[in-house]
Amino acid sequence: MKYFKNQLIWLAGVALLAGACNKDEQNVAPTDDNEAITTATLTLTNKATPTESVTATIENLNTTPDFSNATLNLKANTAYTGVISLLDKTKTPVLDATTEIREKANEHLFVYTPTPSNLLTITLTDIDTNPSPGPYPIGLTTEMKTGAAGSGKLKVVLRHQPNAKNGTAAPGSSDLDTDFTVVVK
Amino acid sequence: MRNFWRISLVSGLFVSVVSLSLAQSITCTTKLSGKILGTENREPLIGATVYVRELSTGAVADSSGFFQIDRVCPGKYTLVYQFVGYKTRELLVRVTKDSVVTGASVQLAPENQTLQEVIVTEHRSEAQQLLQTQVSLSGAALDQTRGQSLGESLKSLAGLYSIQTGPSISKPVIHGLYSNRIIILNNGIRQEDQQWGTEHAPQVDQFLAARLTVIKGAASIRYGSDAIGGVILVEPKPMPTQVGIGGEVNVVGGTNGGLGVASGMLEGAFDKKLAGLSWRLQGTVKRSGYVRTPNYYLENTSYHENNFSGDLHYDHRNWGTEVFYSQFDTKVGLFTGAQVGSLADLYAAISSPQPLVQPGFSYALDRPYQDVQHDLLKVRAYIHGAKGGTLTATFARQQNTRREYDYVSFSGALNPELYLKLVTHTTDLVWEHAPIKTKTAGQWSGSLGFNGITQGNVRQYLFLIPNFRNYGAGLFAIERYAVGPWTVEGGLRYDYRWLRAYFLDEATKQTYSETHNWQNANGSLGVAYQLRPDLTLTANLSTAWRAPNVADLYSNGLHQSAVAYERGNPNLQPEQAYNGNLVLAYAGKRLSGEIGIYNNLINNYIYLKPDSVPIIRQRGAFPSYTYTQVQATFRGIDATLNYKLTDQLTLTTKNSLLYAYNHTDHGYLVFIPPNRSDNSLRYDWSRVGKLANLYVSLTGLYVARQNRAPAVTTRQENGQIIFTGDFLAPPPAYFLLGAELGFMTQVGRQSMNVSLSGSNLANVAYRDYLNRFRYFADEPGRNILLKIKLPFSVGKHS
Repeated sequence: MKYFKNQLIWLAGVALLAGACNKDEQNVAPTDDNEAITTATLTLTNKATPTESVTATIENLNTTPDFSNATLNLKANTAYTGVISLLDKTKTPVLDATTEIREKANEHLFVYTPTPSNLLTITLTDIDTNPSPGPYPIGLTTEMKTGAAGSGKLKVVLRHQPNAKNGTAAPGSSDLDTDFTVVVK
Repeated sequence: MRNFWRISLVSGLFVSVVSLSLAQSITCTTKLSGKILGTENREPLIGATVYVRELSTGAVADSSGFFQIDRVCPGKYTLVYQFVGYKTRELLVRVTKDSVVTGASVQLAPENQTLQEVIVTEHRSEAQQLLQTQVSLSGAALDQTRGQSLGESLKSLAGLYSIQTGPSISKPVIHGLYSNRIIILNNGIRQEDQQWGTEHAPQVDQFLAARLTVIKGAASIRYGSDAIGGVILVEPKPMPTQVGIGGEVNVVGGTNGGLGVASGMLEGAFDKKLAGLSWRLQGTVKRSGYVRTPNYYLENTSYHENNFSGDLHYDHRNWGTEVFYSQFDTKVGLFTGAQVGSLADLYAAISSPQPLVQPGFSYALDRPYQDVQHDLLKVRAYIHGAKGGTLTATFARQQNTRREYDYVSFSGALNPELYLKLVTHTTDLVWEHAPIKTKTAGQWSGSLGFNGITQGNVRQYLFLIPNFRNYGAGLFAIERYAVGPWTVEGGLRYDYRWLRAYFLDEATKQTYSETHNWQNANGSLGVAYQLRPDLTLTANLSTAWRAPNVADLYSNGLHQSAVAYERGNPNLQPEQAYNGNLVLAYAGKRLSGEIGIYNNLINNYIYLKPDSVPIIRQRGAFPSYTYTQVQATFRGIDATLNYKLTDQLTLTTKNSLLYAYNHTDHGYLVFIPPNRSDNSLRYDWSRVGKLANLYVSLTGLYVARQNRAPAVTTRQENGQIIFTGDFLAPPPAYFLLGAELGFMTQVGRQSMNVSLSGSNLANVAYRDYLNRFRYFADEPGRNILLKIKLPFSVGKHS
């Protein structure tokens, strides 16, 4: 029986050690996404009348997107200058992802795809500093020309193409993939 | 325990039955001679040496095993008999004045046979006494797998498979079950390393094991709830008992990926005042660069691993204690071609037959990668009495810190995307009663025990699983009765589990929690009957359960590497398994092997069921999955047969057949290992020149196509193509050719093992159904591996 007594002493020690653990798990850290994009804003300015601009915004992209202000109301047969802005509002202060994308322009490409395809004619107007066979377009600024009246969607995809950018959409993966509504009158 | 000591003592005595006798000698002209033979067939060991330690002289055995040493003066001498591949023997010889020559022969036992003996006598763990179906890897078979991960090395056993995430992450699968349904006991401690994740490989240094034992089928009674698939025991080498310092160096180099592994071990035991004290230090370093498929390199599949461990034992007459510490540190690069931002990227990758980016070879390791540390501290003590049996208390603390880094696109963030720190405390108390003999020549043996566990998990950055605290307690009893050819074993276990998960309400910043508790009782019954001395039939019936884990209940997040949004289900019930198996084992002169059939019925089997509607996030659409419960069965056949075509040529066939079915939905389950057949032909030479245990083997592995998988269907929804079942049909069957050459040779006083092996020799481009990256790239191509093992000893250690 003597060793059973010894066991009890061990067990008590073990229980003490087990009980000594802290309660870190009760302090819950908030969810933090390094690369959240909450807000995408597309601003189109009429080339002929620069005071006339149209803005569409999609909010809460990282959770349940809010498309209530995501419609671009454009004039038919008009040329616009387009600028895209991406924000991460989960950070304090709010992080402007557009600035960071401009800094890493050599590995990013915006791809704009209108549906139907004749709704808009889109030209990317900025270029990166990739060496030959580059440079390649970036797509932070664009020229968008409307045709006849109609409506549809404009898909905006941001491709991340580290060491692989070749001017096409294929390499890499998507950081953003969302749709704006377009109405041309 | 005592029995084993007795057996080893007897075998020790057997070895020391000295058959050398010396005749008379004349002063310093005595000729000392003898014969050196092998124990297996009493063949002469040509080239074996005998060394007279006191005289620093020796002789070599000739073609009949005969040796002669001239001009020996009378006295006491130590003769050291040595031969490559055989256990060294030291014998004391008294040379008298009138000795002339010697007579009888000395027999040396082959090294590998000695190793087997060690296993049978000293190293028979409690697991091996259990009647449950088990297979193991040790000795030369284990050496052949050195340099591989735990999951990969077990694949050579029938009934075992592995789930992979690219070439560097491999998780063991037993009879189709994996992750939390398998318990890994690392040096006796239940490994807790976030094993719920299919891309979370076990954090165990394969070089720590001198033996890997796998219990196939539900083994909850002894090892705790959750083990409804089986248990893997990683058992280290027994501690040294001979005084002195010894060690072992292992080096592995591979052509594919530029793999380099070095593992060293140093151990020793003390005498005099410190008798009973022994120690061991061990460490492993592993590096690999980009792995190459037959046609291209897999970008960022580099791998780093640094491990070390230390063990200190003190064994007194009837008690002993042990302190063990180990650290496993790994950095695993994930194939960049499998990093997709969304469903659209996945479809693009699937439609591309080869990865778009195909760089050259490199050792670079960048995002995306996993960085994981696992620390284990174990303290164990036992007390042993002739009548009271053995009482063992074990306490362990494990800390698993996992950081997962995804690609960062624009933020330049240095933080990981996922951080999980899991601290586990376990305590076990097991009493193994002394065997009780009955009047009918039967014997009762068994054990009684308590297992306790508590875990705390802390997460940061993205949410995948919540913070939690859990407590678990289990009580078990196993009793075994052996009489004549019969052995019967019965077990009972009761478990209680408590879990509280902590969440943060993002709006109010308030912490709230949800609590669960479960309890369950299970039992097992096994019978073994020896039909003939060479034929045994074993049958087992057991139940087991698994409480839903925190990932099953509360996962809520994008599993980037799985291209899936996974949702937990807080209403899940525990899984309950009913497992039966039947094994026929035969050990004949030419033919040996075993055939086992099993059936595992699992009620409330938890799995991820695809939702009908995808989830839309900033990166686009993702398929979403919810944890669901069904009734499932896993049934199959494992058959391993060895046939000696001649004394030197052996044919081995290992076959694993598995059939799994979802009874609730009347369909097949996803990710079930396809049938496989592994056949090899091996030719052994006992000795060629200076090489001992020389062998060559040729292996052909056939893995069938998994035809029993959910059908892949597609449909259009809001302009998105939605896949159900899977994203891609299972890949075709494949056949891989392998070969190996190995031998043992003498380097100074040490014997060195060398092996050269090749896998996928035909450089076949293939994909494996159980690789989660099969949508993106082929499996690795040809690989040539060189393995060297050099045991050494310093001082009196042998």
